[in-house]
Amino acid sequence: MRKGGELVKMTLKDLPQQDLFGPGNAGCRGCGAAIAGRQAMKVLGARTIITMPASCMATLSGLNQKTAWSIPFYHTLFEIAPAVSSGIRASLEAQGIKDVNVVSWAGDAGTADIGFQSLSGAAERNDNIIHVCYDNEMYMNTGGQSGSQTPIYAMTSNQQKGKRTGKKDMLKIMVAHDVGYVASATISHPLDLAEKFKKAAAHDGFSYIHIMAPCYRGWNIPTDQSVATARKAVESGFWELYEVVDGKKTRTHEPSFIPVSEYLMSQGRFKNLSTEQVKEIQDAVNSHFGRKEAK
Amino acid sequence: MSLTLLTGSEAAAYGAMLARIEVLAYYPITPAFPAMERMNKFIEDGEMNTRFIRAEGDHSALAAALGASLAGSRTFTVTNSQGLLYMTEVAYHTAGLRQPVVMAVANRALSAPHSRFPEQGDAISQDASGWIQLFCENNQEVLDTILQAFKVGETCRLPVMVNYEGYIQSHTQEEVDVPQLAKVDAFLPFTRVSALDINNPQGINTVTSPDLYMDYKYHQNDAMSQALEVINNVAAEFSRDFGRDWSGVIEGYRMDDADHALVTMGSTVSDGRIVIDALRAEGKKAGLVKIRSFRPFPAAAMRAMLKKVQYVTVIDKNIVFGSGGALGNETKAALYGHLSIPVKNYICGLGGRDFRPDELKQVMALSEERAKQTTEYEWFGL
Amino acid sequence: MAKKLPIVPSAKAGSMAEAPSGIIWREQHPVIGDKCNQCLECIMFCPEGALKLENGKVAVSLELCNGCGTCAFECPQKAITMVLEFSGDRGIFPLKEGKS
Repeated sequence: MRKGGELVKMTLKDLPQQDLFGPGNAGCRGCGAAIAGRQAMKVLGARTIITMPASCMATLSGLNQKTAWSIPFYHTLFEIAPAVSSGIRASLEAQGIKDVNVVSWAGDAGTADIGFQSLSGAAERNDNIIHVCYDNEMYMNTGGQSGSQTPIYAMTSNQQKGKRTGKKDMLKIMVAHDVGYVASATISHPLDLAEKFKKAAAHDGFSYIHIMAPCYRGWNIPTDQSVATARKAVESGFWELYEVVDGKKTRTHEPSFIPVSEYLMSQGRFKNLSTEQVKEIQDAVNSHFGRKEAK
Repeated sequence: MSLTLLTGSEAAAYGAMLARIEVLAYYPITPAFPAMERMNKFIEDGEMNTRFIRAEGDHSALAAALGASLAGSRTFTVTNSQGLLYMTEVAYHTAGLRQPVVMAVANRALSAPHSRFPEQGDAISQDASGWIQLFCENNQEVLDTILQAFKVGETCRLPVMVNYEGYIQSHTQEEVDVPQLAKVDAFLPFTRVSALDINNPQGINTVTSPDLYMDYKYHQNDAMSQALEVINNVAAEFSRDFGRDWSGVIEGYRMDDADHALVTMGSTVSDGRIVIDALRAEGKKAGLVKIRSFRPFPAAAMRAMLKKVQYVTVIDKNIVFGSGGALGNETKAALYGHLSIPVKNYICGLGGRDFRPDELKQVMALSEERAKQTTEYEWFGL
Repeated sequence: MAKKLPIVPSAKAGSMAEAPSGIIWREQHPVIGDKCNQCLECIMFCPEGALKLENGKVAVSLELCNGCGTCAFECPQKAITMVLEFSGDRGIFPLKEGKS
């Protein structure tokens, strides 16, 4: 943001106190998805319409005639959040309403798996919407089965010896759609997340933000560790924070490169990993960042 | 009145244009696609002020139309057969959210085996979806029914499917009177209803407990029942404004003193009129019952029409496997416990199998001959 | 007689705050001590929006808090203590004044 013509970093005090999402939501303790929603809404503001497919987040967002959202919220079918958002944007254009953010906010399934077709379609059409993936890396709303966003070797309810294939890189896939703004974020770095939502909201066209959102039940961590686990993912280099503006990638946070084992071994879902498997993951992180070895 | 030669596809496109739809979303499919392309031409030529969403699939096409409708726009889509099946999940959802999206369906057979040809099985697959389903016998009715569909849907807050058969109607030119836009504007004013309103936020489709779900479904079904009267009223209003009477939910043709009623819907109705005239010329007391609204089904009106007949022949261009023809089943259900008349149900013209007026006449004769036989339904034209 | 309901299945904006669910199964809640310097980090990390700045101080809404402990763990000043809700082996919730 700019103050007196000079570019200064946003601070937590610059974010509004008012919650447009959150109070009373039915999330589990320490829900990473709910934290992500609260942080994002501080930036998106009241002139936002949100569509959300079947997911934990849609479930915790409302029951009967009550909802935890103070903006127009629509719990969509599993596969269609970006498509309905395209329709909402078209209608707003027809009505001459220009100052509204239209956001489709889906889990990793509603984004990368069952929802992938409509996401890809909206991105290719460059419809003026923001798609957010809040990624808890498994299908938590149905009890924690593996999906394409589950990392290699993680134990899930239907792959109890660990997943055999790696995580599909949705950020690269969205960059390949040639959209103007793509970013990764996580809940342990709320100002970084806030800046990214500001840029996405300002971008006239399709934007994609992928938020790592730990889940204490699926990841088998204590309820107070969602934010701390996200931070370990970032600082180990396991989850890179970056943005791609018009095809140009910029890392938005330099990790301190704690050993990736500190991230992995603090979670029950990785408790069966062998030393070799941990090393394999560490090597992959090192290679990604062009490093010889971990500190 | 100026008559133009239009295919059913073009008539559908004119209907959408005259209704001033704000948002159009579709995914191409055969034989519906010429209606789609015609609307894009209207948009490109500036004759239609409509946002077009080039959906990447039929499922998303209806989803986008639904999103636009929830935000308050009059929206339209077109599809058939596999596209309609693919949309099914969104179709039920649209009806549950009470959004008056209008969809034209160029009826086509369902795979497998793969077929591109006409049949009404695709529409019948949606009979429990909560969509009002209207069937048209000619291209003029296609255009006029699309105009009526918006009015009916917006009055009842229900989505409406306007059916015409692939190729037989979609690709065949007929003389059509295209109404003047000013007259359509007067008939079809638009009041914006936004469920997703930025100035009046609410949460749509929250998780609903057994406490409320059944009550929501009661109201949805109640709206569907009330639609019978709305469809009749809108057809009467249309008739006053445009001088064409499509008789609302059901029409009896030469039924006053008929002792043999032919019951059918879609393009077979126009063949039916020729056959009934021929039988009357031979001195036979035959009449036609045209079902224009399959959902909601006009059971009471049908009973009133069939009160005095001795024979009922129902022609179905669909098959509900292991059960019979959908219209045959509805007819039997409507009469059961009220009228004791043999209902003969014939499955005809599936997957584009030719079914000519002379064959229809044969079926009528066969039906009388076999009236005493207890077969649930028979196939004709194998 | 069917219940009277809105035509479009819908909910009043922000209405969940009126009947929060987390409190039912909360086992512990945060108490904010004197070391708090209003850095606001805990507010950012609360999944429930249970923490707010009120009259220049961070305050907890026990109506909303479901006791995850994230605020206490994340507090850079270590100013927040999690206090158990129950006592005894059955886990008895203390009744709040004026409420049952």
